[in-house]
Amino acid sequence: MAHSILRSFLRFPSGGVCNFTKPACAYSRWHGSFYFYRRANNSRISDGVTSFHFVKEASIRGYPSGAIVACSRNYNSNVTSTFETVDGSEYLAMTDEKLMSQCEMDTFKVSGPGGQHRNKRESAVRLKHLPTGITAQASEDRSQHKNRAAALSRLRKLLALRVRNTIDLETYVPPPELVQILPTKSTIRLDKGSQIGPNNPKFALGMQALIDLIFAVGGSVSDAAKKLGLSTGALSRLILSDDSLRQAVNEFRVEKGMKPLK
Amino acid sequence: MKSSRASLSSILQPVFSLRRPAFCSAAPPKPQTPLHLRPPAFRAALSDLQRWQAWAKTQASSVGSTFSALDGGPDSSLLLRELNWLVEDAVEHPALLSTENKVTAEVAIRAQLEEMYELWRQRIEERRPFQYVVGCEHWRDLILSVEEGVLIPRPETETIVDLVDHAVKADEELREGLWADLGTGSGALGIAVARILGGGGRVLAVDLSPVAAAVARYNVERYCLEARVSVRVGSWFDPLKDVEGELNGVVSNPPYIPSKNIHSLQAEVSRHEPILALDGGADGMDDLIHLCHGAASMLKPRGFFAFETNGEIQSKLVLDYIQNEMEGSFCRLEIVSDFAGIQRFVTGYKA
Repeated sequence: MAHSILRSFLRFPSGGVCNFTKPACAYSRWHGSFYFYRRANNSRISDGVTSFHFVKEASIRGYPSGAIVACSRNYNSNVTSTFETVDGSEYLAMTDEKLMSQCEMDTFKVSGPGGQHRNKRESAVRLKHLPTGITAQASEDRSQHKNRAAALSRLRKLLALRVRNTIDLETYVPPPELVQILPTKSTIRLDKGSQIGPNNPKFALGMQALIDLIFAVGGSVSDAAKKLGLSTGALSRLILSDDSLRQAVNEFRVEKGMKPLK
Repeated sequence: MKSSRASLSSILQPVFSLRRPAFCSAAPPKPQTPLHLRPPAFRAALSDLQRWQAWAKTQASSVGSTFSALDGGPDSSLLLRELNWLVEDAVEHPALLSTENKVTAEVAIRAQLEEMYELWRQRIEERRPFQYVVGCEHWRDLILSVEEGVLIPRPETETIVDLVDHAVKADEELREGLWADLGTGSGALGIAVARILGGGGRVLAVDLSPVAAAVARYNVERYCLEARVSVRVGSWFDPLKDVEGELNGVVSNPPYIPSKNIHSLQAEVSRHEPILALDGGADGMDDLIHLCHGAASMLKPRGFFAFETNGEIQSKLVLDYIQNEMEGSFCRLEIVSDFAGIQRFVTGYKA
């Protein structure tokens, strides 16, 4: 863990430019206040390898949840100038409030005085996570508050899918959040507590750890299954149980010249 | 003696006593039931309702950008979204409307078909705010009843609730005890603040308008908060004389628009919303200044306040006023921006 290297296989549109057509809007950082993360242990910063990599570019896709991902090209400078780089899984461990403080919220509002001057039921919310440039939006609810919560939960899922942590296979021990999402028949499950499913908010953390492992073993489901004490079939079923997880794994497999899981 | 006479007269003249106007004027106004809470008591042929929807879409589309060019009102795309929300509120099973095959089917609706035509006509022709059309506004995690005479809560104001949340998390003593929401309108802030405070807190929600107070009470009951939110009728701190110096917190979204700007507001606001809740006097500061002074005498030491303003310059003027004219009354003063980046709120603590 001490030398876990943050690497991100963020994908973005081939133009490299954010595909959102930015409406005439004002946006601000949450509450106008902005937190900077200064952690006591800065070893990860000083080891000099905390850079993000854009590995492959892909087009913006609509996710099953309705979320949209895009990344800004210049976020590397954001990372170094305003944020301490943190491990991908740490974003997911943050409270909503903390994660929100790293986001720019864009409410699609036209500029103007707002407040009592306006009657505009424009409740769509777009969150841009500044350290990674990942954005998530929600517009299906009539309350801005609820759209903000929906956008934030989508952002968590997207962070899980898009931000990769490298792992050392030699010393690999599946982290507890990954163990929790495994079927109970896994031989590495010591406690036989119930399996956390895709609808549980804790699934995102486990999913992130699982994708990290699959990336580390080059996309081989059977190799990953061995590390997790599962049969290849059981792990395949787990991967297929969530659309976005399946999509992430299959994209990587296709990239490696493997057949997608079905 | 008195009571027996009253009962005698009511036996002798039952009709008269029912009609006695003195009783009627004293009774609080009865709030309207929002569309989504009415029973789906009416039936319409699916094809008729679909015809209504097609007509309503045409009406919305024909608006184009006329309103937004005129006074910053809604454009077609926003009106079409509102139309979907109207369907959501009025039709028991909205999904039925998009089915093509069952032409003979009937659907249950919460208003007569004629009223549906009338409601959408009002929205487009009269620019009646959508929230008054359906009788509710989705605000934070609440669905609040609103009607003519009651300010429609704005999304900006949601932030005040977060500010209160921060304040009580920083100082848990603020959580237990009395808070006040001045000019509560629909009761939005009062209700949301009570939910933030939890069981130990109580909110006094004040409004000058009896209509607003009745609607606020209705909303308080809908969220089963009668024990924690009391609605009082009166001007600002007047009905709170009994709790002077005892308040843990004061929040308000007072009228703050300068009088000269009222006529140029978008039609939904200027023609339909209560001017009482909008007009803040010549520079829009009349009520804010009054609130600052009131908060200084009503709050406990270390008590918290958060006021919404017209934004930017007005926030600075309020802050300057407190610092210069009310020196020593408050500390830790802050200007907080809304989600659109406009410096919208002034917050602080009683010294």
